[in-house]
Amino acid sequence: MLPVVVVHGGAGHIPKERAERSTSGVCSAARAGYAILRGGGSSMDAVVEAVALMEDNPAFNAGCGSVLNIKGEVEMDAIVMEGKTLASGAVSAVRNIANPVRLARLVMDKTSHACLTAEGANLFARQMGIPEVPMESLITDYSRMRWKKNLEPNANPVECQMGKTGTVGAVAVDAEGNIACATSTGGMLNKMEGRVGDTPCIGSGGYADNEVGAVSTTGHGEAIMKVTLARLILFHMEQGKSAEEASDLGLAYMKSRVNSLGGVVTVDPRGCWAARFSSRQMSWAAAQRDTLHHGLRSGEHFTQSIDDPH
Amino acid sequence: MAAVIVVHGGAWAIPEELSKASVDGVKAAAREGFSVLKRGGNALDAVESAVRAMEDNNMFNAGHGAALNSEGEVELDAIIMDGRTLASGAVSSVKNIANPVSLARAVMEKTDHVMLTSRGANMFAESIGVVTVPTDALVTEYERNEWEKHKNYITGVMEDFNTKAHDTVGAVAVDCTGNVACATSTGGIRNKMVGRVGDSPVIGAGGYADNFSGAVSCTGHGESILKVTLARHILSYMEQGKTAAEASELALQHMGVRVRGAGGAIVVSPSGQWAATFTTERMAWAAVEDSVLWYGLDPNEKLQDTTFVSVPK
Repeated sequence: MLPVVVVHGGAGHIPKERAERSTSGVCSAARAGYAILRGGGSSMDAVVEAVALMEDNPAFNAGCGSVLNIKGEVEMDAIVMEGKTLASGAVSAVRNIANPVRLARLVMDKTSHACLTAEGANLFARQMGIPEVPMESLITDYSRMRWKKNLEPNANPVECQMGKTGTVGAVAVDAEGNIACATSTGGMLNKMEGRVGDTPCIGSGGYADNEVGAVSTTGHGEAIMKVTLARLILFHMEQGKSAEEASDLGLAYMKSRVNSLGGVVTVDPRGCWAARFSSRQMSWAAAQRDTLHHGLRSGEHFTQSIDDPH
Repeated sequence: MAAVIVVHGGAWAIPEELSKASVDGVKAAAREGFSVLKRGGNALDAVESAVRAMEDNNMFNAGHGAALNSEGEVELDAIIMDGRTLASGAVSSVKNIANPVSLARAVMEKTDHVMLTSRGANMFAESIGVVTVPTDALVTEYERNEWEKHKNYITGVMEDFNTKAHDTVGAVAVDCTGNVACATSTGGIRNKMVGRVGDSPVIGAGGYADNFSGAVSCTGHGESILKVTLARHILSYMEQGKTAAEASELALQHMGVRVRGAGGAIVVSPSGQWAATFTTERMAWAAVEDSVLWYGLDPNEKLQDTTFVSVPK
């Protein structure tokens, strides 16, 4: 059953013309993460590489391709967590960084803190020698078009993005049984400057504990925070629920209590995994025992050999 | 049912010379919060006013009296949460704001968001007309001296926590209709990196409130509290039928065993059961229940303030 990696490219409604790119993006990310695990790499290395690959892919709302805030700027959030020690690192509202997930990992590895925000996070990036990239390089025509559309007087950014968010995330268990998670996002379309969503908040955007499992979440950030979705799912698993049952219970609770939809990827210490969502769609992929699994719509589950390039 | 408020002024090795002022400060905050409940105010109003009282008190590391970061600046974190709807608001790394808890409440009530950080939080404050205060107004002479003394030492956050002031403030309350709320506010840890966000503004870590299980506000080593999402963890034990005291002890023990972190928590349940528990050397706390003011500082200390007379309505 081990190793295993499961990734998501965001829950919501994914426009038809973007579905294929989203699917191929999560499949590539799962393959990259799995290659690290198969080569004896750690689950932390695997989730960071998988997420960094999706940050580099303009099809997703993270890194390059991030949605724009109300002022037309990119501010990003990311988190990593390792289940052995519960160590974690996060950045919030960081700018001009190509791979916020790598910066989050440096916060974990190189500081005695768990989260750095805004200019402080950028200051730390400079100290670490992480190059800053021009904001333009993170912005796509698509993200600018959506930003403009949502500045129109009758626009409803909250409604509009339900499903078109493309937060990315990954969970993995390596051959030694160590568990990790990573999540990265450009946040919410036309958000206020300085808005921090669920992604960098431990227990909301992600959580990993070797004794229970790991979760990475996606959906309406404010709703995910209200129910601390990742931690909620792991509480259910602590009480004996399977990864799939716990994920469904957590998502159902979020729907009934705060009337919101989302999606998760979940894994337990034995390598049982789930990719579940209450939204219409979520692009996801998983790699285990040299098989690649993927899906987009509810009930979809395709499999192929991990070495099959298509 | 009877309304209850519990407040804390931070869990750490409070030195003897600060002990009386800490206890006086938490008692005053508890009285303040209770007077809101007594007037028919809801739990949310009560925790906000109790925390404001401690932010305004130079004794505590929140608002006035906040700790300085590595650059000698003040960056504040706060959260508030309403157990009725799970609505919450938070600010992280905000500057020049005397009462971050009230700004957090404005984030909850006036935006679509849950958390605003840094400059964005200050821009929001400006847009709703919150008055800013100069950094110097928030810094005490005591803090400036301590910071000067320590700034040349390069230490980890653990040593900082063990040897230096760390007194996040917080409050939890249940009102007479059974609604619960929590609020937490802090200047963070002395000499923290610019932009460091601790547990206080992170939902489920620094605080959580849910009418179906209870409300918690945490204090202690922030990075440890984050690792175990302490507030949410305590409430998960309560959901499984543990009392407020049992749940707090179990979760704090877990934090000690799993990540070797010490801290404290105050808890109320929707039925008015409450607890103030800590694994640090001391935690200043106070509670008002049935018009009796309880307080404590050392482990297992629970004293009654006999001078407290709650004026009938």
